Formats: sequence, C-alpha cells, structure tokens
Amino acid sequence: MATILVADDSETILLLMRTRLEMAGYTVETAADGQEVLDRVADGGSPDLLLLDAMMPRKSGIDALRELRAAGSEVPALIVSAHQNPGDADAPTDLAINGYITKPIDFDQLLETIAALTA
Amino acid sequence: MAVIGVARFIQQRQDFEDSIARSYQTEMAARVRIAQGTGGKAARVAVHQQIRHRSELRDQISGDTRDTALLVAAGLIAGLTGALLLFSGLISSMRRPLEELVDAAGRLAAGDRSVRVEVGGLSETATLGAAFNEMAAELEIEEGRRDELDRLKDDFVLTASHELRSPLTSVQGFAELLILERESLTPKQVETVEVILDNCRHLVRLLNDLLDLARSDAGRLLIKPQPAEVAPLIEDVVRTMRAQTEAGKQSLTEEIQPGLPLINVEPARIRQILVNLLTNAHEYSPEGASIGVSARSLGAEVEIAVSDTGPGIPQDQLERIFERFTRGDAGLTQRVGGTGLGLAISKSLVELHGGGIVAESTPGQGSTFRVRLPVAAAVTSDGGQSRAAAEAS
Repeated sequence: MATILVADDSETILLLMRTRLEMAGYTVETAADGQEVLDRVADGGSPDLLLLDAMMPRKSGIDALRELRAAGSEVPALIVSAHQNPGDADAPTDLAINGYITKPIDFDQLLETIAALTA
Repeated sequence: MAVIGVARFIQQRQDFEDSIARSYQTEMAARVRIAQGTGGKAARVAVHQQIRHRSELRDQISGDTRDTALLVAAGLIAGLTGALLLFSGLISSMRRPLEELVDAAGRLAAGDRSVRVEVGGLSETATLGAAFNEMAAELEIEEGRRDELDRLKDDFVLTASHELRSPLTSVQGFAELLILERESLTPKQVETVEVILDNCRHLVRLLNDLLDLARSDAGRLLIKPQPAEVAPLIEDVVRTMRAQTEAGKQSLTEEIQPGLPLINVEPARIRQILVNLLTNAHEYSPEGASIGVSARSLGAEVEIAVSDTGPGIPQDQLERIFERFTRGDAGLTQRVGGTGLGLAISKSLVELHGGGIVAESTPGQGSTFRVRLPVAAAVTSDGGQSRAAAEAS
C-alpha cells in the first residue's frame, strides 16, 4: 500500500489524517511544516503522495512543493487549504499541483482522490 | 435718454396745447370784433392768421412728436443694449463657475470624492464654490473612514472564517470517526454524534455564507464563467439532494428542455445556488410535498426554476426574501437549518453572472424561484446551433 506524507502545523489535524488514512490502509508519515517535508525527502524518504497544508509556519506547503518540483520531483501532491475555494488566495498557477482539498475535509472525496493518484 | 425724450414730449405737448388755446382765444376775439362790425379787414386777417398759425403748430407738433418718438425709441434701444451688455457680462461671469460646479457635482455624485472647484467670480458663486468644496472634503473624510471600517470588517470576516475552519475540521473529522465505529456505540451515543455532525455542517454553511457575503460586499466575490451544460449541473444537484428529500418523503423531479444552449457560468457557483434553492424547498415544505427543478430556453438566457408545493410565502415576506437574515415563517424556522443568508448570496451570485432571480408564491399552494442565466456561445449541448443563438444572430 502507498505511503503518504502528511504535513500540517496542527497536531489534531495530523492525528485525524493519520487515523483516517491508516483506516483506509495507507502508510502515513507526518511533518509539522514544509521544511520537515523537504528534510524527510532529502533523507531518502520517498512518499507516494504528499498531502500538504497550504499555510504553515517556517515553510508553507506551497513553498515546499515549489522547491521539490524545482529539484525535479514528480511526486503527486495535494494541497489542503482553509480557503473555501481553491482559487481564492493560495493557488499558484505555475506549480504542478494534483488537486486541492478544502477544509473542513470531505474524507470520502479525499480518499477517492488519493486512490486515483496512487493507483 | 428715453426719460429725457418722454419729459420733452410732455413739455412740448403742453406748450402746443397752450399755443392752440391762445390761438383760439385770439381768433374768437377777432370773430367777436367782426360780428360787432368793429374788426374790419384786420380782424378777418387775424382769423385767417390764427387758422394758419394753428395748422403750422399742428404740423410742428407732429414733427416734434415724431422726433421725440424716435428719440424715445433710440433711448429705449440704447438702454436695452446697455442692459443686455451688462447682463451678458453678468451671466458669463456666473456661467463659468456654475458650469464648473455642475460638472464637479456630477463627478462627486459619481463617486470622485477628491473633486474640488476653483473659488472665484461673483461673491455668490464664490460662496457656493466654497460651500461645495467644504462638503466634498467632508464626504471624502467620511468615505475614507467608511472604507477603512469596511476593510476592517471584511478582513475580520475573512480571517475569522479562515481560522475557524481548522478547529471545525477537527471536530467534524473526529465526529465522523466515531460514526465510522457505529457498531461499538450505543444508540444514544450515535444520536449524540449525529447532533455534533449536524451542527458542524451548519457551522460550515454559516462560515461559507458569511465569507461569500463579506467577499461580495468587498467586491472580492469573483467568478470565472465558462461554457457549461445545464442538464448535468441540475442532475448532479438533484442527485445530491435526493437523500434529503427522500428522508422527508418528498418527491423530487426534474424537467429539462432538450437541446438547451450552453450557459456562461462557474458551475460550482450554480450548484451552490441550486443547492440553496432546493434546500429551502425541502426544509420549508412538509412531508409528501412535491419539489421540481425545470430548465427552459428563454431567448439569450436559460431559466432554471425550482418549485415546491409547500406552504408558500406571504406577499409581505416575498418582497424581502432576498435580504440578509430574512427567513420564512418563524413557526417553520424552528426546524429549518438555514443561515438566513442563502437567498441573499444566491442573488449576489446570479447577478455576478449577469442573470436575475425572482420569487413567486401563492400562499397555501407553493413557491417558485426562477433563475435566469446568460447563454454562453452559439453552440448547443448537442453540438448544433441553438435556437436562441440563431435568433440572436
């Protein structure tokens, strides 16, 4: 089963994500911000999918993904945004993003999207 | 000059009448002497002289009258010309500042609060100009303050709704986790979690609605219209709503005119509007009611109508139905989960698309909400030229 690296600055959200994703059979790793995501990948971690919060202290999910893409990574990435509509505030058009998830999270939809991206 | 002429005319007239009277007196005296036989030839000559004299006087006075009349006329013309010159000078000295004021007032009314006029000219126009500038300055300050308050309010609502989303995500997410473990919960616990979830959903709706309204007020509610098919949009929303209407034992039917043209809309927003309207129809209608969605071509627009056989809306409420926090009958509102913002937002959204929304109702029989949306291109959903587009072109 695929490994998903989830990044969010809220421990509660991380716990929720981990629980739901593990229930669906995925292996879950977590990171508290974008920098931690970059560090894990640098340390040889190779998640099958990234689930990144758009806004995090230190380094946002968007910035982390931008650096990964610049380094040639093509790992599928979903951006989780607290904005109601993906296009509202933090949706860069020049970045390869595989999907937006809005808060509160619709887990049925999220699991469907993840299944399609990790198939 | 005219006054001098008139005075001279009166003087001349008096002199003339005096002379005529004297002439008659002289003639009468001569005629008396002739009658008495004492006048002789001299008296007869005197009579003829006086007759001739009066004739001369009359000729002279008519000449004088003509001269005087000419003088009066000349005087009048000169006076009028002078007055006109004076007036036009006065008018042109007022006209320019007034034109400037009219122009400035127009720009001020149109929203340009920085407009000021040059204060000058006659004292009246100068006072008017100064008063105008003072008013414009006050309006500018006032508007600055209001803009600042509006900005603060919008920022607050945007930030609040953004920040509330994360904890809400946790509450809803964990409540959903509990429901997933339904078998290990007592019925009472399941019911409790359902209440939490219901309220989460309500909070989300409230947040979304507030956010939309704040954006709409700030002019930041933007849409990205694209050509979209009507039928799949309606079918999708009907599918979403089916579970709720079935739970309320209400029938939900759709009637879509075949070959509708594409509409120029942001599909997610149209879905939002239709969900709003259908949720209202569902929540305000009793068990067993019929709810219908229909779509038809209407010239350069497509009309989507949502109707129900619910209790209807009284006329006085119908007029205010699109205002914020306006809701139907309080007795029903108790079990209605709406935010009171749905129709206000729907109206903003429809208008943002360049369409319109109206409500019709017969109390006791039901309500119909009609949404008109602009047709996108000259191509129908099945690829042919649409009738509406063909008519338009």
